[in-house]
Amino acid sequence: MRNRCLLMSILALASSAMFATSTFAAEAGTTGHEGVSLKPQMLVQFGGFGITNSMLVTWIVAAGIIILSQIATRRVQAIPSGIQNFWEWLVEGVHNFLENIIGRDLVAKGFWFFATIFIFILFVNWFGLIPGIGTVGWGHYDATGNFHVDRPLLRGGNADLNMTTAMSAIFFVMWFVWAIQANGVGGFLKHLFGPKGETSGIVKILMIVIFFAVGWLEVISILFRPIALSFRLFGNIYAGESILEAMSTMVPWLSPVLPIPFYFLEVLVGFVQALVFMLLTAVFTMLIAEHQEGPEHAH
Amino acid sequence: MILPILAELSGSIHVGLAAMGVGIGIGLTGLGMTSAVGRNPGAFTQVLVHGILAIALTEAIVFYALYLVH
Repeated sequence: MRNRCLLMSILALASSAMFATSTFAAEAGTTGHEGVSLKPQMLVQFGGFGITNSMLVTWIVAAGIIILSQIATRRVQAIPSGIQNFWEWLVEGVHNFLENIIGRDLVAKGFWFFATIFIFILFVNWFGLIPGIGTVGWGHYDATGNFHVDRPLLRGGNADLNMTTAMSAIFFVMWFVWAIQANGVGGFLKHLFGPKGETSGIVKILMIVIFFAVGWLEVISILFRPIALSFRLFGNIYAGESILEAMSTMVPWLSPVLPIPFYFLEVLVGFVQALVFMLLTAVFTMLIAEHQEGPEHAH
Repeated sequence: MILPILAELSGSIHVGLAAMGVGIGIGLTGLGMTSAVGRNPGAFTQVLVHGILAIALTEAIVFYALYLVH
């Protein structure tokens, strides 16, 4: 028992906030609270198919974005104002930002994807932070008479691994399509396995062997990209929900105040994760589709 | 003294250790990015692109630990 306490203190000292929050969550769990569940819950089920609470949030946000953009572009004016101004600011801002990074040609080709990803993830993340989401739903009373929500009506859309995996899988297919379009099949394979740099003679042969082996490492790293993308977004948003839940149940008399700083942190994280998802997809596309003869070829 | 403690360890220790190292690595990347932008604010976009790439490559290690090591 004493060893275990010592071990816990060593671990707690060695690690930072992540470990600290998980031990707090574990303590909260021993007092009868389960925290946020890893999986979304079914709301309606017919056969093997069902509607989960995170799907509902995804549809609400998607419908909201579609309706708002339709309203904004219904009467387009030369001097924008109101909602049209907002959407033009957002879309133009993303367009200029991406153009600086991945260049004019790729923006013309892939802007529809990158901007959709950014705007959608951003609004889903922020929608999931509205108070009431994850706390309104069906539940039960425990032995002490406290109410626990088992099946929330709404759940943050990106706190569902299915959603983030779907987005990164779509990106992976699009990445492949863009890579083949830009390089052709032979150029794509050459990009992966071909030797880079200026060499000649026996060194050239060695370089071909080395870069062929390096190509396989690159293939593994490419295959891990969709997994990393989906887990990054899911992990950040799910951890955010968990930390808000843990902070509001950890110290009962501080529960109205304690989550507030973390709430603003989550607003920031929601923006940063949307930006990171968009930037990573854009940069991965740029790396495979960039033109070899470009003047600023730095890799 | 330390061996019985180590013997009692269970669970996904390797993922925790990988996450710890990845956290340090990403922090160092952030340090490099911020100091680079501080020295040369005009290079913000290039620094951001390379920094994001470095962070992505660093982060992948925790997924290798999560999936490839059992």
